Amino acid sequence: MARADAIRLALANLLIPISILIFATGFFPYKPFMPGLATYEELGWEDSMKWEKDAVPEAQFDRIVFMVVDALRSDFVFGKESGMEFVHSLIIQGSALPFTAHATSPTITMPRVKAMTTGSIPSFLDVILNFAESDTSSTLATQDTWLAQLKAKNEGKLVMYGDDTWLKLFPDFFERADGTSSFFVSDFTEVDNNVTRHVPEELANRDWNGMVMHYLGLDHIGHKAGPLSPNMVPKQREMDDIVKQIWLAMENDRMHANTLLVLCGDHGMNEGGNHGGSAPGETSPALVFISRKMHKIMKDWTPFQSPIEPGSGGEFDYYRTVEQNDIVPTLAGLLGFPVPRNNLGVFVPYLLNLWDDPMDRMKLLLRNAKQVKKIVEATFPSKCFVDTEQEMDCTSPKSVGDDLACKWQNIVQVMSITEKAGAEAAFEVIYNFLYTAQDVMSTTASNYNVSRLFLGTSLAFLSLALSFRNLAIHTISLPGLFFALTLLLYGILMFASSYVEEEHHFWYWATSAWFFTLFISSSRKSWFRKFIFHPAIMLLFLLRIARRWNQTGQKYAGAPDIVHSQIFKGGDGFLLWTLVGATYMDLTNRLSRHVARSIADPETAVSEEYGSTDANRVLGLIGVLPLTSTAFIFKLAFTARDAPELTKGITSGLLGFVNHIALVPNARLVFGGIALSAAWLASVEWIASRRRKGSGKRGAEGKGDLAVAVFDLMSLFLVTQTRAQNIPLYLLFRMMVFFLSILDLPPTQITLTTLLLTQTSFFLLGNSNAISSIDLSNSYNGISDYNISAVGTLVFLSNWAGPIYFSLAGLILLGSHGRILRHVAEDELEQRDWVKEEREHLRSLVESEERVRGRRRDWGVWRRHVTLLTAFVGSALVAVMGACLVLRTHLFIWTVFSPKFLFAVAWGVAWHWGVSLGLGAGVWWVGGW
Amino acid sequence: MSTAAPTKPRAPATPIDILSNDTAKLYTHIHPALVLSLYAYQFRSIVADPVPALLNTLLPLAALQIGYVAVCLPPTGSGTAAGVEKKRPGEKKKVVEGGIGGKIIPAFLSLVLSALVATPILTATLVLFGAPVTTHHFHTLLCGAHISLLSTLPLVYVHGVDGHTWREVVALLLPIDEVYGGMIGTVMGAWLGAVPIPLDWDREWQKWPVTIVTGAYIGFAVGKLVGGTLLKGKKIMFE
Ligand SMILES: [Zn+2]
Repeated sequence: MARADAIRLALANLLIPISILIFATGFFPYKPFMPGLATYEELGWEDSMKWEKDAVPEAQFDRIVFMVVDALRSDFVFGKESGMEFVHSLIIQGSALPFTAHATSPTITMPRVKAMTTGSIPSFLDVILNFAESDTSSTLATQDTWLAQLKAKNEGKLVMYGDDTWLKLFPDFFERADGTSSFFVSDFTEVDNNVTRHVPEELANRDWNGMVMHYLGLDHIGHKAGPLSPNMVPKQREMDDIVKQIWLAMENDRMHANTLLVLCGDHGMNEGGNHGGSAPGETSPALVFISRKMHKIMKDWTPFQSPIEPGSGGEFDYYRTVEQNDIVPTLAGLLGFPVPRNNLGVFVPYLLNLWDDPMDRMKLLLRNAKQVKKIVEATFPSKCFVDTEQEMDCTSPKSVGDDLACKWQNIVQVMSITEKAGAEAAFEVIYNFLYTAQDVMSTTASNYNVSRLFLGTSLAFLSLALSFRNLAIHTISLPGLFFALTLLLYGILMFASSYVEEEHHFWYWATSAWFFTLFISSSRKSWFRKFIFHPAIMLLFLLRIARRWNQTGQKYAGAPDIVHSQIFKGGDGFLLWTLVGATYMDLTNRLSRHVARSIADPETAVSEEYGSTDANRVLGLIGVLPLTSTAFIFKLAFTARDAPELTKGITSGLLGFVNHIALVPNARLVFGGIALSAAWLASVEWIASRRRKGSGKRGAEGKGDLAVAVFDLMSLFLVTQTRAQNIPLYLLFRMMVFFLSILDLPPTQITLTTLLLTQTSFFLLGNSNAISSIDLSNSYNGISDYNISAVGTLVFLSNWAGPIYFSLAGLILLGSHGRILRHVAEDELEQRDWVKEEREHLRSLVESEERVRGRRRDWGVWRRHVTLLTAFVGSALVAVMGACLVLRTHLFIWTVFSPKFLFAVAWGVAWHWGVSLGLGAGVWWVGGW
Repeated sequence: MSTAAPTKPRAPATPIDILSNDTAKLYTHIHPALVLSLYAYQFRSIVADPVPALLNTLLPLAALQIGYVAVCLPPTGSGTAAGVEKKRPGEKKKVVEGGIGGKIIPAFLSLVLSALVATPILTATLVLFGAPVTTHHFHTLLCGAHISLLSTLPLVYVHGVDGHTWREVVALLLPIDEVYGGMIGTVMGAWLGAVPIPLDWDREWQKWPVTIVTGAYIGFAVGKLVGGTLLKGKKIMFE
């Protein structure tokens, strides 16, 4: 039976990643990718239109300055509050053509740069695949981009200053470059000065035909203090001055007579100053084409006003809205090179008017359309996209593929009569095809592989069924009922978009109820005299404080919480650093005991508490202090740079010292110290366990101390990966674990508590199901060169620090690792003149300890623990996949449900496999030594 | 665990039966309908401005509850529930079953106790479960008062202030009857009432503490009905 159980459990767990993979490939369908650089090809209508072969409309510009200001939301340039007065004057005089450029989610820099250079629409899956791929293949060096085209044209040269994302994406592309990394968001000035100082010099250089600048300061201000920060308008003025500087060079220097300046944001920001998701603020960056030649377009139009109020499309809708990747074919036309092959952008209509001859405009548009048609053709291989007239029934197209084929056929037919019908009719059908194709290819809603979605969901359901079969429920127990209700309700709530955004409310609500249930449950056995201080009530109390720590979710974003309160911001951070210091002291104390035990004489140490004499304790402290104090100093030095407002109260002398610490080696020292300590403690415990086995004495079994040591070392690591403001939470967590250990719960209840606290603590640390809430500040600790897998691991570890903590804490509770053993001799009991009840009480204590000691080595206990956790992961996946499947045409599918699916993937793969199964098995194993 | 001293064996608690006269039997079914009607009548103004409306509703609710216990329930120590021996040396004298006047006084005492003792405890519990800490103090306090009048008042009336019984109440050890069922229903209803708050329906009634109070009222009616009929005499099992 046990064997069948184990097989079922293994199968249930294997099905988790398999179902995720299958579902993901159906949900984020394969997009055809065209390798190689595009070249000018024959259009096919040369003869009928009496065009010259290979005639390409003359380029309007020969040089481009591409100025990206990170997170430059539309209102920062166009709105009434904007500080960019010079840009306003350019717009009014008709030298600048303003747009709101719609950016698709994920609104983070790397995929946005990809969209703005290749013209493709990177999806969430691209982001993950980029992450999973090795460093070289995720670059755009081999892809068709306007940079590659510019470089290929007349052996052009490129220069780049600013965000080093560009250098990672385009290695060895630039003639001259100076990258700045977006390491500390507290840096508002240095990152930008580092770009600006190159501007005058490069404006005087003749050799380049493309200059990319990427300013990070404005994004940093947003992350730090939001869009309304007092630093925001001065920063806009600073950016405005740079535009002015470039404009003056364009006006006065003949060599810049044909230079185009493009000012744009890669994405916007939400009210909190973060980005990643699809809130209107995040997806609405500004886009401005600047050149004196724009007068030519504007002369037929009423002049634009600037600054202005937003339009009818919402508070970030200014002027005309285009898609962000429309930049790519437009630049191809303006600068005179073929449209990059994977482009899904559409030539921005107004800019076509730079060409006087309608035939030139038509050629540009046709090239754009033929290039997009190739992608459409590859996506819908069964449809007909030939360039000759066909018999087609286009009265009511059955699918989007048919619709696109019909729209292409329209172009073919109109082109055959263009000489009579006029160019305008052709423009209309070509744009109709292009916009439909862009829409179809970017939403991908029509491209879901529904059978894969069904298969993935069914496999997740199978996994759930297998683990439920293993649970072998015969009787309804309280934790069982609670567990089942939690699963059921969670599953229902995953279909409500607002509960996906506010998932923390569910876990806080359920965990509070569970703690109260524990209070009732324990009161049924015996009444705790001072019931207010009952461990379960204390748990409830601690949870309530922790809930207040970070405000998370969408609905109440920005509501008051402890992290943003005067408690930490005021008083120069004294309270914060006292609490952080206390957390590190507690860790020091715990780790010193492990070290003390490791150096104690094993003969005497076996049965004594921690086997430590005072001398050993002192030695243990001396042994561990260098590690914990290095970790503390690292945290201080990191915070001084990352969030200087939190270290205001630290004396300048110490701060001066701390500011000179090199962070990367310091972090490596901490990680190395933790690894070394773990190795040392493990080897000592291994030797001790061999000795114990040799002696064969009764009661000489290990106490599972190594599991506790691993937990404590892991805690130190997790604290290192946590922002300073959140570190005091670990004190609360520690107290929670303490009160839980007093409650002395049976195994199933421990598992349920573990499950609830792992989920709850994820949100307690300020996370949510929004991509923009992912905290990247600790993802580069100890990493000097760009190593995607290391960064990815640290992103996971720092965002899932709370869940990892409670996962291990749950195992320690389950096995009562490190608990002191009481050996009460039975005969001794009889002799003493104790009251009967006291004797019974003691006997029951001993029995419970014996039971727990057996539990520690029992893999069956661990398996049952894991079975419940697997059942939860399985049901969560069923719910999330089911919601994505059922609601795949829902308005919120890309903003709410698909990010939730990505979080579910992280929970299912990295969390469940990496932590619950991998790390958990390791800890359980060493706990049994 | 450091726990209470061993207790002397006591007679097991039995469920409370309502008084056996016809008025009691009839009114016990009318009462929840009256309570719900009162709440439904006040609902609009509670949504509009919770604090004054909840405050104004307290008095009629108290009157209804006092009427209910006086008409339908045996006061503490009256011995109607056979076998209940809660009397201890020095405990206050039994209230002999008789005229309505002999019931109004314990009913008022129950009101005072639930208002002064149970309300603060329930309000603190609400905060522990996530009620706002820094704002909405009166909202939460009034929410606690409503829950207290619904759940605690009848319980105090039938069980008095005996510590042991109240421990059994908290530990869910008493057999279910319509009074105990009403209390459990009220508390569960208030807890479930938190579920709609985070939804993005943008309705006025989603604001604190309307859903909680609504849940409590509905829970009271359901719990009282189920406790008095379907589950009567059953004990809650935990393991
Ligand atoms: Zn950013």
